[in-house]
Amino acid sequence: MTFSGEFFAFMSLALVAVIGGVLLLNLTKVMHMIIALVFTFISIAGIYVLLSAEFVAVVQILIYAGAITILMLFAIMLTKHDDASEAQGTIWRKLLLLLGVIGFAFAVYIGIYNFNVEQLPSHLHENNVLQIGKALYTKHVIPFELTSVLLLVALVGAIILAKNDEKEAHKE
Amino acid sequence: MIQDLLNSSPGWANFGIFFLLGTVLLLVVLGFVTYGILAERKVMGYMQLRHGPNQVGGKWGLLQTVADVLKLLLKEDVIPKMADRPLFILAPVIAFAPAFMVLATIPFTDKFQFADIGVGLLYYIAVSGITTIGVVTGGWASNNKYALLGGMRAAAQMISYEIPLVRSVLGIILLTGSLNLNDIVHAQRHGWFILWQPIAFIVFFIASIAELNRTPFDLPEAESEIVAGYHVEYSGFRWAFFMLAEYVYLFAMAALITTLFLGGWMSPLAALNFIPGAVWFALKFSVVIFVYIWIRVALPRMRADHLMEFGWKVLLPVALANIFLTALIKSIFHIF
Repeated sequence: MTFSGEFFAFMSLALVAVIGGVLLLNLTKVMHMIIALVFTFISIAGIYVLLSAEFVAVVQILIYAGAITILMLFAIMLTKHDDASEAQGTIWRKLLLLLGVIGFAFAVYIGIYNFNVEQLPSHLHENNVLQIGKALYTKHVIPFELTSVLLLVALVGAIILAKNDEKEAHKE
Repeated sequence: MIQDLLNSSPGWANFGIFFLLGTVLLLVVLGFVTYGILAERKVMGYMQLRHGPNQVGGKWGLLQTVADVLKLLLKEDVIPKMADRPLFILAPVIAFAPAFMVLATIPFTDKFQFADIGVGLLYYIAVSGITTIGVVTGGWASNNKYALLGGMRAAAQMISYEIPLVRSVLGIILLTGSLNLNDIVHAQRHGWFILWQPIAFIVFFIASIAELNRTPFDLPEAESEIVAGYHVEYSGFRWAFFMLAEYVYLFAMAALITTLFLGGWMSPLAALNFIPGAVWFALKFSVVIFVYIWIRVALPRMRADHLMEFGWKVLLPVALANIFLTALIKSIFHIF
């Protein structure tokens, strides 16, 4: 194993991502959880940059760290923003969980350690915006269009739900 | 120069050089913020028929902002007792760090740019969105209803105006065929995009004022309604960080407008090519900053519901129409 700059970058990003995930589970206040989640999202974007998938990285920040987080913040502010979760479960349950986690980690470790990834020469890192665009509009054009229809249906559905609320409020 | 550095093999020397360059840029930006604030106060003063700062540092008040910053640094650092302490401390950092990060992709001249990445424009827009989280966090952590209201307003405003901002730029991306800011500057050889894309420019300019939280759209910190909005509980250098983020974004946004619509470092006429690119960039940049200050003095603040209606019902359809028009023109006339 060589200690290159890439290794350090990956290690620190992965560490931040994992710590963010653990904090998300362990913190008790909802707001703190969201900030931890933001750190995870951003360090995952950093890992995409290391893989020279810059478009995916930027979209990850734009959609996840930007839009989705703000959406969750709004949802929390409009409901119970001071809520805090409490620890639950007995000692036995925790022990069993720990065993399960260790077993899973061991299985994954064995599965990955000797997994032989074939290194294929690829041009995916060059002009990847252009390549994604071409693939989306030629090979995957039908799923792409279907996705847009799905989003439209969701949008119309949301508007209809909101309209109904208003009418009922008027009746009352 | 930077290109060679970016392509050279990584090492400590390389790291040192980039660190040094980053520090120099930070100092340049801080210098801009210092004199940008002074310029704003002076221009506002003259437009309102008064003098503005003229006591500290000679007739032009050249040391006024320096004195103000010193005062801020010496102020007592107050954290309210009922505030959420860790988030209260973290919020100004989250708000400021992206403001400086976005400067990395902006091509100041043909040779001076920190990162020539393929998705430069998208990077700017994505990273600048993170600041909103810092603002909302600060508003929530203060445990103050005005701060919370300001934070929510900031989030709502920035999300709604980011959409027309991105949509208006799509016209330029269609004409250029690239998200790289260098390619966009080079595509303006035959005419600035302010001439090719006037509708996009107007939409972008209005949306950018809203993104910068400046006066017709400064609802997140509307003094007369919610005291000071999200930073009402902040004082001293933490407050200075929020203000710094705001002015660094002013710098970044003016630089982005120069790059996207005013031809970046390129001279408007071939006969004037002997003047270096940095001078052209600085000139165009200063004009954009002046217009921002001008608008701030000239217009009153909008009402919250008008602001949202204007964003969704006017700017967004106009930006969409502009994309449609651009695509039509591009495919019919085969320009670019």
